[in-house]
Amino acid sequence: MARSTFLGPAVTLALVAAVGVALPVLTQDSYHLDVATTVAMNLLLTMSLRLQLNTGQVNMAHISFMGIAAYASALAVTRLGLSFWIALPLAPLVAAAFAVPIGLVALRLSGPYYFLVTFAFSEVVRLVFNNFFVGLLGGASGLVDIPAPSPLLGLTFTDKPSQYWLMLMLFLLGAVVLVRLDYSRFGLLSGAIRQSELLAATLGVGVLRVKLTAFVIGAVWAGVAGAFFAHSHHVLHSSDFGLEPMVLLVAYTVIGGVGSVWGPIVGTILLTFTSEMLRELRAYETLVYGLVLILTMLFVPDGLVSIPGRLRRAWQRRRAGRADAMGVGVAA
Amino acid sequence: MLLELAGVSRRFGGLAAVADLSMTVAEGAIHGLIGPNGAGKSTVFNLVSGVLPVSAGAIRFRQAPITGLTPAEICRRGIARTFQATTVFREYTVRQNLLVAAQPRVNDGTLAALFRLRDYREREAAAVARTGELVSTLHLDLIADRMVAGLPHRDQKALSVGMALATGATLLLLDEPLAGLTLAETREVMDLLRTVRAGGITVLLVEHDMRAVMDLCDRITVLDHGTRIAEGTPREIQTDPAVIEAYLGAEA
Repeated sequence: MARSTFLGPAVTLALVAAVGVALPVLTQDSYHLDVATTVAMNLLLTMSLRLQLNTGQVNMAHISFMGIAAYASALAVTRLGLSFWIALPLAPLVAAAFAVPIGLVALRLSGPYYFLVTFAFSEVVRLVFNNFFVGLLGGASGLVDIPAPSPLLGLTFTDKPSQYWLMLMLFLLGAVVLVRLDYSRFGLLSGAIRQSELLAATLGVGVLRVKLTAFVIGAVWAGVAGAFFAHSHHVLHSSDFGLEPMVLLVAYTVIGGVGSVWGPIVGTILLTFTSEMLRELRAYETLVYGLVLILTMLFVPDGLVSIPGRLRRAWQRRRAGRADAMGVGVAA
Repeated sequence: MLLELAGVSRRFGGLAAVADLSMTVAEGAIHGLIGPNGAGKSTVFNLVSGVLPVSAGAIRFRQAPITGLTPAEICRRGIARTFQATTVFREYTVRQNLLVAAQPRVNDGTLAALFRLRDYREREAAAVARTGELVSTLHLDLIADRMVAGLPHRDQKALSVGMALATGATLLLLDEPLAGLTLAETREVMDLLRTVRAGGITVLLVEHDMRAVMDLCDRITVLDHGTRIAEGTPREIQTDPAVIEAYLGAEA
């Protein structure tokens, strides 16, 4: 469960929404909007990944559920002739249908074993996209010609700004759900499990149930991102859902901070901007992320989002210390 | 009998940490479980709380067998335990720690939480109220919203007892609740345990502080090498030759 934030969850969310809404007013540049759309999509992915990290589980197959939904949505539209607006809620359910059995098996393992099993599953999924059912999934050349979202209520979604608005709305919907969950009993129990699974279990917490819920809800929101991805990129490749983008998601989330629902927001936005500014160093991008990840784990293990709280506590200690030195008692 | 162990054994490879142990804990008692290091006291706790499976034997709580249940299920039946080391969630405040324990029987469902259904709100309010009561019972009012990591040892110990209470358990298994406390703090926690018992809750206590054990307990079971070597009132235990030998070695 989130510790009390400075502004409270509703205000912070409103602030995030305001920034998102203000952006296309401030810039019509299609490159800027493109980056912003990717950020909104990554935010949905990292926030739903963090839901699982908060139970202490590093799910390396998170991006596979995005992939499953992306392919499901693309096929539903191109093969079954369904509308995008039907495929959009349907595709995450397909991801969830995969997540329930996978989670039930994988979540009985812990630590490195869980990590390895989810990683193995993600490789299987990637290989299936790449090598199997080539007629259906497109094989190594990818699944192509995926149409943009069809018009809805007189709005079209073929240009950059309208796709940005669509992704922003999907992200905000997800953020409201995920923040609300974090501030509920579910979030409280998740964090307790991360801190000590054994203690939580002996206090009567249904550990597996909480973990499975986080796993499946995580897959659903990754699936929403996947459906959007399919119809905004128009092409799907197996490598879109491989190890490299997955490692980036983990880096964003952990650097931002796993213990707070706001951590992934801070991490994703900050790292996307730095990586855009360091575009010249593209070849070294993963190297830089690796380095930042190690430094974060060493010096701010609770992530960047924990820095203000740390400073505040250090400041209080200093003040208390000085007061003590002067022989003045300061109550709490 | 509230708790009954019948012929319980636990082997680790060739070593029998607990061997054919039978004992009972009466309702409303403070029952001490003592013995030299390695006697199997913590293993007994792990078996009763379901953290470890038994190798043989049966454990019954209120006449119903609980062997084979998960720790969470056993907790919901009314047995809560504390640990020697990890006793609290360090990143949480005192209040949050109690809240984790407070309502295990509440619907933890996410949909109910998401839409804040009336049932969810009512149970949440009840848990918050109960947590508030416990905070005052434990005299933790002043630090209720402080993060646990920075709190003194005494408060963390008291909190861990409070968390066990918050589950609504009728039997508490307390693993060295007095370890590392000063004399004055020991007395405070002992008073707390007496208050707990006065509230109708049974306590099974592993503790090395003999003076406290003799002072607190109605009945004491002594383990050595995983078997019971004595059981009785504190007075009986203090004069039992087998106990004296186990603790001091013959005529040490």
